[in-house]
Amino acid sequence: MYNFKSGIVQIDQGFGGFEAGTNFLVLAPPMSLAEDLAYSLTKPLPGEYAIVLSTNDRAAEVIDAFKVMEVDKRYVGTIDAITKSSTPGIADTTRLMFVASPTDLTGIGIKFSKMVELIFDGDFSDGESGLFPPPVRFCVNSVSTLLMYRKLEVLYQFLHVLTSKVKKIDGVGFYLLNNESFDEKTISLVKQLMTGVIEVKIEQSTNYLRIMGIKGVPSKWQKFSVQKGQVVIGP
Amino acid sequence: MISTGINGIDDMLGGGIPRGSRVMYSMEPGVDGQLFMISTLFAALSKGLSCLVVLPHTTFDIFKHDAAMKRGCTMEIFNKKVVFIDAVDRERIEKSSRTRKDVLKAWETKVKKLSKENAVEIAFIYVDLLYNDLGLEGTISIAEAAKTSGTTTLILEHLNLEGRSLIDQFIEKYSYDLIIAISSAFRSQLHFNYFTLMHTSWSNVPRRSVPFIATEGRVVPYIPKIVVTGPTQAGKSTFVTNASDLGFSIDRRGVAGDPTTVAMDFGWLHWKNFEITVYGTPGQQRFDSVVPMLLSHAMGIVLLIDATKPSALERARHHVQLIREKRLPMVIAANKSDLPGTMSDSEIRKGLDLQKDVPLFFISATRKGDVRLVLESLVDYITQYTN
Ligand SMILES: Nc1nc2c(ncn2[C@@H]2O[C@H](COP(=O)(O)OP(=O)(O)OP(=O)(O)O)[C@@H](O)[C@H]2O)c(=O)[nH]1
Ligand SMILES: [Mg+2]
Repeated sequence: MYNFKSGIVQIDQGFGGFEAGTNFLVLAPPMSLAEDLAYSLTKPLPGEYAIVLSTNDRAAEVIDAFKVMEVDKRYVGTIDAITKSSTPGIADTTRLMFVASPTDLTGIGIKFSKMVELIFDGDFSDGESGLFPPPVRFCVNSVSTLLMYRKLEVLYQFLHVLTSKVKKIDGVGFYLLNNESFDEKTISLVKQLMTGVIEVKIEQSTNYLRIMGIKGVPSKWQKFSVQKGQVVIGP
Repeated sequence: MISTGINGIDDMLGGGIPRGSRVMYSMEPGVDGQLFMISTLFAALSKGLSCLVVLPHTTFDIFKHDAAMKRGCTMEIFNKKVVFIDAVDRERIEKSSRTRKDVLKAWETKVKKLSKENAVEIAFIYVDLLYNDLGLEGTISIAEAAKTSGTTTLILEHLNLEGRSLIDQFIEKYSYDLIIAISSAFRSQLHFNYFTLMHTSWSNVPRRSVPFIATEGRVVPYIPKIVVTGPTQAGKSTFVTNASDLGFSIDRRGVAGDPTTVAMDFGWLHWKNFEITVYGTPGQQRFDSVVPMLLSHAMGIVLLIDATKPSALERARHHVQLIREKRLPMVIAANKSDLPGTMSDSEIRKGLDLQKDVPLFFISATRKGDVRLVLESLVDYITQYTN
C-alpha cells in the first residue's frame, strides 16, 4: 500500500506518512497557517499528482503558491470556482479547469472526475508520467465556502462522494474548514466523513497543530510553522 | 414529438419525447452528463421552439459560453427564441423575499410570467440549487409553473446525490414521463459512462443501459463489447457460441483437423440492462495482428486458457501483458475443467504472473451456465459502483 509522506517527521518516521485512501479535515481558525499547512500536505512529491479545488483563491494564486514550494507544475491541477464569474469565456485546459461558482457542485464533480481520469490515462503532465497507479493528493480550499452556499445535508452527501472517490483511487484528501464560523453539529457531521482531523489553533500569535486519527501518532498540541512549503514542528 | 438531440435515444423512445411530457436527466455526481440537457436544448433551439432556461447556479452569460464550448460551436444559436432566469435573478428573489414561502412564490410568479409572455414550448430547469433552497416539493411546483399550456414540455437536470429513492419519487409521486439516469462505472483503471432509460410513461420500453462517449460536443451511444481471448484451442469459439444463441464464428479447418478461428467469433447477450456483444479473437500466433484491434474499446476481457495445458501458459502470458498495457478489466477462465489433470489455482496464477485480485474461474465452455457465470461476474466487476 502506498504511503503519502507528509513532510512532518513525527508522522513520516513512525508511520510512513498518510495511508493511501484516507481523508483529513484541516480544522482551523481564520488567519492561521492552515492554508499553508494544507497546501504543503498536498504538495506532490516526485511521481505524485495533486488536485486543488479552490473556492477562495484564483487558479493563478494557487499556482503561485505551489511555485513557491518548488513543485513541478505539470503534476498539479486546479479547479477554480472563482475566475469564471468575471471571465465567463475562459476555457479549460488539462490542468486548469473552471466552474461557474462554488455553488456548482455538478461542475465541481465533473471536473474532479475529469482530472482524475486524465491522470490515470497518463494524459495529465505533458507527456511526462509519474508513478502508476498514480498517487493523487487532493485539497479542498475550502469546505467553509462550499458550506456558505449549500445546505449541510446536501454538502454532506457531496463530500461523501468526493471522499469516497479519494478512497477508491487510493489518494489522500485534505479539506479545510474554518472552525469558528460553524456550529458543533456541522463540524461533527463533516468529521464523520474523515479518517482523521488535523486541528490548528493560535495562541499568542503562535500556530499549534495536533493530529487526531492516525494510529500511534500522539495527538498533543505542537508548535509549527510552514517554510517554503515545508512544515516545521517545534519552536 | 420533441427530439432529445441524441441520435439513438430518440429511436429508443419511439421517435422522441411527446409534447407536454415531464422529463428528468438524473446525474450521478462526477459523471459528465451535462451534454444530455444541452443536446436537447440545442435541438429545440435549432427547430425554432420557444425555450425557457432556468439556471439558478450560474449566469446566462457563463452558461452560453460553456454550452457553446461543450458543443464546439458559436453562441449564435442563442439568438433564437430563448429566455433565461439565472443566478442574478435568484439573488434578487432572495433579497426581496422575507420567508421561504415568499421565495417560492416569487420563483413561481417569475417562471409563470416569462413562460406565458414568450409562449414557452420547452422549459429547461437546472434543479440543483432550487432543490437546495426550496426542497423537492418547491422545485416541482416551480417547474409546474412553467407549464402554461398542456403541451409545454419540462426538462429537468438534477445532480442526484440520493440515488434510486429520488428517482422513484419522480416516477411514482410526481408522475414524470421520462427518466434517464446518467452514471459511470469507475474501477480505478477503467472509466466509462452509461445512461439508463429508467422509466418511460408513454411506451413500455424495457429498462436499458447503454454506454456512451461524449465526443465533439455530441453524446454518442455505443454497444459495449466483451472480448474473449487466449491461446489457440483454449475453447474461445466454444465459449462465445455458448455465450449467446446468436453466436457464430468464422472457422476454417486447421492442419490437425481442428477448426480454428481465422477472423473472429461473434455473439450477443443481454445482462443487467446492458446489451453486450461478445467477440472471440483467433488464438493462433499468425493472427496476432488483429488482436489489438479487437481489444480496442472493449469494456472487459475474458482470458480463456486450457486448464489441462501448462505448456500454453507462456503464450497466455503474452495475452495478459497485452491486456494490462491497455488497462482493461480482466477475468480468467480456466477451461476444460471437466477433463482430468487440470492445473491448480496457484499454478495458474504463478504461471500467468497474476495478482490475487484478478478473478479466476474453473469452467467448462461447453456448459452454458459456466459461460454465463464468467460473463456476469465480469459485467458486475466492471459496473459495480461502490461508494
Ligand atoms: N473437454 C472439453 N473440451 C472443450 C471445452 N471447450 C472447448 N473444448 C474443445 O476444445 C477444442 C477447441 O475449441 P475452440 O472453441 O475451437 O477453441 P478456440 O480457442 O476457438 O481455438 P482457436 O480459434 O484455434 O484459437 C474443440 O475441440 C472443443 O470441442 C471444454 O470445456 N471441455
Ligand atoms: Mg476459435
